[in-house]
Amino acid sequence: MVQDIITDIESETGNDCQKIDSILNEQVLQISGEDLRQVVEMLKQKHEFHHLSAITAQILENDSDYVELLYHFWKGFGFTLLLRLKKENPVIDSIIDHIPGSDFYEREVAEMYGVKFNFRDGIPPLLLPDDWVDGPPMLTEKKA
Amino acid sequence: MEKITIPIGPQHPLLKEPLSLLIDIMGEKVTGGTLRLGYVHRGIEKLAQSRNYIQNVPLIERVCGICSQVHTTTYCYAVEKLLGIEIPARAQYIRALMCELERIHSHLLWLGILCKHIGLDTIFMHTWHDREMVLDIMEELSGGRVAHAANKIGGVRFDLDEDHGPMVISIINKLQGQIGKLRDMVMHEPTIKARTEGVAPLSQDDIRKFCVVGPVARASGVDVDFRRDDPLPPYDQLDFSVVTHTAGDAWARTIVRVEEIEVSMKLCAQILQDIPDGPIEVRASRRVPAGQVVVRAEAPRGEVVYYLRSDGSDSPARLKIRTPSLTALSILPKQLSEIQVADIPVVVAGVDLCIACADR
Repeated sequence: MVQDIITDIESETGNDCQKIDSILNEQVLQISGEDLRQVVEMLKQKHEFHHLSAITAQILENDSDYVELLYHFWKGFGFTLLLRLKKENPVIDSIIDHIPGSDFYEREVAEMYGVKFNFRDGIPPLLLPDDWVDGPPMLTEKKA
Repeated sequence: MEKITIPIGPQHPLLKEPLSLLIDIMGEKVTGGTLRLGYVHRGIEKLAQSRNYIQNVPLIERVCGICSQVHTTTYCYAVEKLLGIEIPARAQYIRALMCELERIHSHLLWLGILCKHIGLDTIFMHTWHDREMVLDIMEELSGGRVAHAANKIGGVRFDLDEDHGPMVISIINKLQGQIGKLRDMVMHEPTIKARTEGVAPLSQDDIRKFCVVGPVARASGVDVDFRRDDPLPPYDQLDFSVVTHTAGDAWARTIVRVEEIEVSMKLCAQILQDIPDGPIEVRASRRVPAGQVVVRAEAPRGEVVYYLRSDGSDSPARLKIRTPSLTALSILPKQLSEIQVADIPVVVAGVDLCIACADR
């Protein structure tokens, strides 16, 4: 199944797709950020991945120049798309038109990690106050 | 006709927790709405990074005041997975027993709120009286009515003694009769049907598009339950049915939850009958080996997801929590469009929102 998905992604995007055995319980494929919309559309149409459980954003301690995004899908088994964005200007295409349920996930990633999403009419705050000026809270060095 | 926007919340008698709803109306018709969260955002994901794995158990318990047990169960399971340990079977059964009791009292709480918004205060009183019986069981077992402190990394904090089984069964038997009456009321009471039937229907396509989970999804015929489809132990050993309905309206969501209470009561009896003897915990290291894990579980409101990454220290490098209420909230504006103003309370109550869960 996962090998079929890798083949489909590579033929659809023309870019390499790497299988990573990093997350227990989950099949993980690393893709390029610019391919996200294309890959999500293909996963929906061809492999019937409709359920996006969550989007996790994080900064890795040993590679802090990047914001890592994990798109956790589920279809009888867990399946994650992993992609990395430059932390200095993290921009990614929104998938809200393919998966409307990703709206709140994207809004949370935008305000907590400062990621910008293309193809959206604005991204209103979800959790932080309107007058929040301290920047994305999850990027701060301050301890909670 | 002029469009008017009505603010509901963050503080409003309709809401039991703070949420800001801006609802657009034209005459008596709702034409759309937007919502805003964050009024009980506690920064739990960030807080978890500055506490060790053991200190995080009571923190995670406070994600939600209703389904606290399933959150600690999922978190502890994720940590145990990274530690490479399996807790004793007896501890797994005790965790599942607490999760099912939690599902019963959560659904009863919700049913009471729905009836209160419909105007049936007597049923509200009855359901909350019945819910008290379940809370009494949980208090007797764990010492806590809503924050049970039942789980620890490596097992559970209390064992069942020989009196506990008969006590739980006798209360569940008593509850069985009460739930039967509630079921009849929901199925046949004209006021409930009039206020919920055909209100805010969601199709299977809507559910898929908005990634909605739990009883709301099952009421629209989406047959998914993570206790069966991606089970944490011991659910793979238990025999139970998944309740679904096809109507997708507020009435179907009510029926699904009432029938799920009955399934959970049978599960409690089954757990108490099958629970093996043995220890209730294993030793767990304070430091967790580097690694990542995703764990999904079925909370009373649906799929709860925990992503945990360890860097090898005694604190999580990243803990991501996705609660089912967040998905239910994302579809709420759609549910509110094209309904009557008088139906707003039924629709808002009907999806069983937990704002504390969604805010974290």
